[in-house]
Amino acid sequence: MNRNVYRNIAFVTVAFALALFVMLGVSWVQMRQATPLQTEVMETLKQLNESNTENVELAEEIRQLDLLSRKAYFTQESHLKSGAWILCAMALVIGLCLRMYFKDTKNLPEKELDPIDEWLTKSNARKYIGWGVGGLAAASVLFAVLSSGIVRGSMNDNSEMSPLAENDTVLSDTPADTTANALVAETDVVDTTKVDSSTLVATVEEPVDTFPTPKLTFNAFRGNNSSGRSAARGIPTSWNLKSGKNVLWQKSIPKHGYNSPVVNGCNIFLTGADEQARELYCFDLWTGELRWTVKADGISGSPSSMPQVNEDTGLAASTVATNGKQVCAIFATGDVICADMDGKRLWAKNLGVPDNHYGFASSLLMYGNELIIQYDNNSDAKLIALSVTNGNQLWSKSRNDQIAWSSPIIAKAAGQQAIIVMGNPAITAYSASNGSELWRVECMSGEVGSSPCASDGVIYGASEYATCIAINAETGETIWEADDCLPECSSPVATKDMLYVATSYGAVCAYNTETGEVVKQHELTTPFYSSPIIADGKIYLFSNSGKCYIFSAGKEFNLITSFETGENTYATPAFTDGMMVVRTDKSLYVVKKES
Amino acid sequence: MLNLLGVARFPKPDFTSGYQYPEIVHGMPWESFWVWLDVVLLVGMMSLVAWAVHRRPSRKIIFSVSIVSVLYFGFFRTGCVCSIGSIQNVVLALVDNNYRLPFVVLLFFLLPLLFAIFFGRVFCAGVCPMGALQELVNVRNFRISRAVASALSFFPWIYLGFAILYAATRSQFIICRFDPFIPIFRLSGDVGMIVFGVSLLVISIFIGRPFCRFLCPYGAILSVVSSVATKRVEVTKKSCINCMLCHNACPVDAIREPYANKVGESRMVGVRRVLLYIMLLPLLTIGGGWLLSSQSDTLSIAHRDVYLYTLLQNNYEDKNMPTEVEAFYEMGRSIDELETSVMSVRESFNRWAWFVGALMGFVLGWKLIRLSVKRTRKTYEIEPSACVACGKCFNYCPQNISVKNE
Amino acid sequence: MWQIDPEKCLQCGRCQTECVLSVSAVKCFHANQVCGYCDLCGGYYRANVKELNTAAENMMCPTGAITRLFVEEPYFEYTIDESLCNGCGKCVKGCSSFGNGSLFLQIQQELCLNCNECKISKVCVSGAIQRVPVRQGYKLKDHA
Repeated sequence: MNRNVYRNIAFVTVAFALALFVMLGVSWVQMRQATPLQTEVMETLKQLNESNTENVELAEEIRQLDLLSRKAYFTQESHLKSGAWILCAMALVIGLCLRMYFKDTKNLPEKELDPIDEWLTKSNARKYIGWGVGGLAAASVLFAVLSSGIVRGSMNDNSEMSPLAENDTVLSDTPADTTANALVAETDVVDTTKVDSSTLVATVEEPVDTFPTPKLTFNAFRGNNSSGRSAARGIPTSWNLKSGKNVLWQKSIPKHGYNSPVVNGCNIFLTGADEQARELYCFDLWTGELRWTVKADGISGSPSSMPQVNEDTGLAASTVATNGKQVCAIFATGDVICADMDGKRLWAKNLGVPDNHYGFASSLLMYGNELIIQYDNNSDAKLIALSVTNGNQLWSKSRNDQIAWSSPIIAKAAGQQAIIVMGNPAITAYSASNGSELWRVECMSGEVGSSPCASDGVIYGASEYATCIAINAETGETIWEADDCLPECSSPVATKDMLYVATSYGAVCAYNTETGEVVKQHELTTPFYSSPIIADGKIYLFSNSGKCYIFSAGKEFNLITSFETGENTYATPAFTDGMMVVRTDKSLYVVKKES
Repeated sequence: MLNLLGVARFPKPDFTSGYQYPEIVHGMPWESFWVWLDVVLLVGMMSLVAWAVHRRPSRKIIFSVSIVSVLYFGFFRTGCVCSIGSIQNVVLALVDNNYRLPFVVLLFFLLPLLFAIFFGRVFCAGVCPMGALQELVNVRNFRISRAVASALSFFPWIYLGFAILYAATRSQFIICRFDPFIPIFRLSGDVGMIVFGVSLLVISIFIGRPFCRFLCPYGAILSVVSSVATKRVEVTKKSCINCMLCHNACPVDAIREPYANKVGESRMVGVRRVLLYIMLLPLLTIGGGWLLSSQSDTLSIAHRDVYLYTLLQNNYEDKNMPTEVEAFYEMGRSIDELETSVMSVRESFNRWAWFVGALMGFVLGWKLIRLSVKRTRKTYEIEPSACVACGKCFNYCPQNISVKNE
Repeated sequence: MWQIDPEKCLQCGRCQTECVLSVSAVKCFHANQVCGYCDLCGGYYRANVKELNTAAENMMCPTGAITRLFVEEPYFEYTIDESLCNGCGKCVKGCSSFGNGSLFLQIQQELCLNCNECKISKVCVSGAIQRVPVRQGYKLKDHA
């Protein structure tokens, strides 16, 4: 056969192969990058469909498009496979044709490229290597010089930055000064069944400065009187810990604890503990600086080895309480400490190691000069009131109850300020002034971890292993009982119309406070140990995994927004003017709208 | 009270209808069988090539081995693991106690070297699928200037150096990542690499084995070993008649013509040059080490932790945060831990950059010395370090043809 | 051999795009014994799904590789068609954030080319892909 025939076949095949190669390449790139199954059109349509109920045409359109794109995807994929094999076959044809074409010519001696003199070749090779390697080395030296120059440049930038950094530290000193003289927060307990911002306002006027002292306080677990409500306004409904959007600061907490932060003035108080030490921390609200640490050590009667506690309760499960002058904390060892606003330890005492198989978890509460401690343990359950100023016992009430992990609240009952305590088996109201029992309703059973709440003359209590109950605060009569939606660790919060409950199995429900019916329920399939707080007309709630849910606090009880914060959250957040303080598993951060 | 923190959000169902869990068996390839078949074929094919080269000068056998190798090692086994890549596994095993080097990989690394000590580069001839593929497409050889080729043959050493550097610092296997022919064997892969591989193949139609000569790092090691081979490849068993046909046929330009050493340069100048280069050798070695180590911080970005660390230096808006950074936060790793890791990675990069740079400098000096030594040749001779034992020359030698005719 | 540690996997979606095979060798596996078998399945349905049916707008899987079979009220058996699965991990993300985490990604060893260095492992954001001994080719979630 004429060798030109082979040449022509080769040329034609090369042309076809090139075309096929380009086509396959384009198709491949399309498939890899556009991901035909998740096109933007598809996704927007699907989102549209979610917001648009009952649009049958839209749904139909999505189905058609989905079918089309799936078809396209799988045919493209199989075409790609077969195309690759065809390309291989073409390459084989080209190779064979070329072989045939050059069959006779490959023997022909070729013109010698290199000089006859081998020495000259070697000399040339030396020269080329010299130049090549020299060039490479020069390039890399140049690069080294340049990159180190860049490094030096950035170092200069840093040194220019440093005066600014110094300014920052100077500024951060100011709130410490202002807080020291400015904090006279409300200590008197007013009628708190109605949350009114005016009652929570501190009386001292502050000069305007960069770090104003907030007027609102959040003095205990779930706020003042442990009501679950705050008058705070302007709390952002979205933030991001990674990008820092709407996050004022985030700091790590030295020691672990499940207790929640409380806020008074520019101070955030919380505790942490491990086998080595039990500590009370004060963070600065504006900067996140750890202002001071007070250790619960050297207390007579304190156990030398830590009591056995459940890992999920820890040694510091109880939230502290403050009144703006003193702050008190309790640990699973039975140690109670009290410090002033500057971190000076005022007094400390041990109440006797609590006989508690999970670990002591009830939070503290202050009423006037009384520090209220619900000391429900396996042996000798009692309610204790200590003097905030010196730690002496003011009164103590023996309780005919079993162990509980619930925390007390302060509410109006039987015509006076009362301490409402939920335990097993009863919810009991005690006079806040002398501890005398006002009424007692036996309704609970099992392990009680949730705390009661109050609103508009009604006391509510709910626990997973028992019931959800509404009690007339004046008379102690049961209004209704229900068992639809019961919390385990999270405590409910109530308004006049609704009672909101977050459960450990992921349901968040709203009861009608008049009838006890579950009006609305959100199945969120994620456990909640943190308690919902009502602020700014919304309910803020964190799931254990750190997802924040914000609901409207009304009869509609709609889920306004939800998003992952990225850090496990078991504590209940604290609120103050325009700010929210959140304790996560490891850190503490403040959410504030960026100005 | 506070328990059940875990994944099991929902209880397992309590089937009342007698439902049985379906038996799901996830298939496993018969890997141990194929791996040992690989080894058997490797040894068998290398022995066959060695026999074809040394006992019975025959190109046909070598060519058929090439076809088998491309089909089996190439398209069927899709290239992994190969001897070229095994360099990195060996290096990694030397530095990392946690990495247990599979015995088969060690064999893949050692066997071709062992054969090279005795028989020359019989692995390259047709057993290596990369070499075989280039051999199969090679049709017509156009010679390239030997001086240029000689300079280019320094590249494999640079490649080898970086491969060792990145493997020893547990960063990447660059030989595997930038292998030009593997995507062709797999019929899928990175577009850039496919284009690179195809263009190399197009070049190798007209120039013999560009990958083997100017890129392959394993070839660099083999060329050193084969230069001391006990049995050298010979064009013919009979005496050379200096017809230069074999020289024309050689695709890798390994056959040197006879050369009477009559240099115009005085002997003294030559000797002085060699002495100068020998003195330069330690200087080049240290210089190479210093040069590369000065770049080690830049090079270290190939390591995953260092890369992540540099990413973390930037501030990101919520939307365009790289997935790596997001994952870093999501996993709750601490920046301190990452920083210590980055420090140790950079430190090991610096150490290895010294070693690798020194190796490159040494090879450079050695090459220069070799290029300054004069040798006299009376007949056409095969340069053993360059010869890939493809056997092309056998059929061209008139002496061999006369043997057949007898 | 290479395998994904499901405990570390963050479902970034790179398994789908980075594998040297044009359709990734990474597939979704289902551990029947870990599953809660609910009707509203986070791996099966998109978030905010309105109707629990198999219409395209409700399904999580972009290729329709997950099918389910009604067993008894209220339980379903979930099956994955590996020939359709492209390893994108959407269902795994849905399952692990709302369910028991019974869906997880694994490298299907019969498809895996067993590269000397797995390309996905180099870009895996959580370092979940590691070399494993041949005998422990899969990291399954069953028998937990």
